[in-house]
Amino acid sequence: MRSAKAESTARGRVGAAEFPLSSRALGALARDVLAKGLRFRFKALGYSMHPFIRNGDILTVSPPPARGLAIGDVAAVVQPESGKLVIHRVTGLTSASVIVRGDNAPAPEESMPRSHVVGRVIRIERNGRRVSFGLGPERALIPGLAGLKRKPWLRPLLKIVRPVLKP
Amino acid sequence: MVKKKDTIQPEETGCYAVSPDVISREIEGELIIIPLVSGMGNLEDELYTLNESGKAIWKMLDGTRNLKTIAEELAAECDAPSGEIEDDVLGLARELLERGMCVEVRKG
Repeated sequence: MRSAKAESTARGRVGAAEFPLSSRALGALARDVLAKGLRFRFKALGYSMHPFIRNGDILTVSPPPARGLAIGDVAAVVQPESGKLVIHRVTGLTSASVIVRGDNAPAPEESMPRSHVVGRVIRIERNGRRVSFGLGPERALIPGLAGLKRKPWLRPLLKIVRPVLKP
Repeated sequence: MVKKKDTIQPEETGCYAVSPDVISREIEGELIIIPLVSGMGNLEDELYTLNESGKAIWKMLDGTRNLKTIAEELAAECDAPSGEIEDDVLGLARELLERGMCVEVRKG
């Protein structure tokens, strides 16, 4: 979702949009822009990718790389049923689909058809500064660590590990 | 951010079309326009919408009709004074040209 500075919206005039975009609208626009081979920049809302992506972070998404996505990449996916744009981490790959899950989401992994993957997050900006933790080589380890978080018997260990994970 | 060019005066007998450097899409009743700048659709920088009359004009900017014809067609559709509609069409065309959101296809 996003809003922009308002300008004149007088009759027959062009005005800067001053309304929140639904995630469905965002999905449609992301698909249009990325299908042209261009990058898409927008504000992320939500907590499902915490702590690597936080509510209000500005994300830049590029079209999927020619080599394809890898485990640990953060994918931009347009959900088949709802048309909503979802930013989740790749936890598995099959020939026909990409399996994704939010780093902080209690929901199970979701299998998405490859044709619905519109891009990959290449840049995170927070408070005007670039944040790269979670997109670098360490990203390959994150799906495993996020999975451990869901094992109740490992919670004591995670209390020790969590401060290290915090960017 | 799309740099607004100096004032450009469109000609009412000229033909104009939506620029290939924008993406527009009608979503949930709103026409959303994203200028494509430096290889990016940047929603954090530039995101526009048009009101109902702007939307009607935008859809007619296909490069085949001149602005006067567009105004006449809209005036007939809306049963409104053609002079008023002509001002709207010229005003919107000027704004769009200044923002690089439409291009001249044929001079008047």
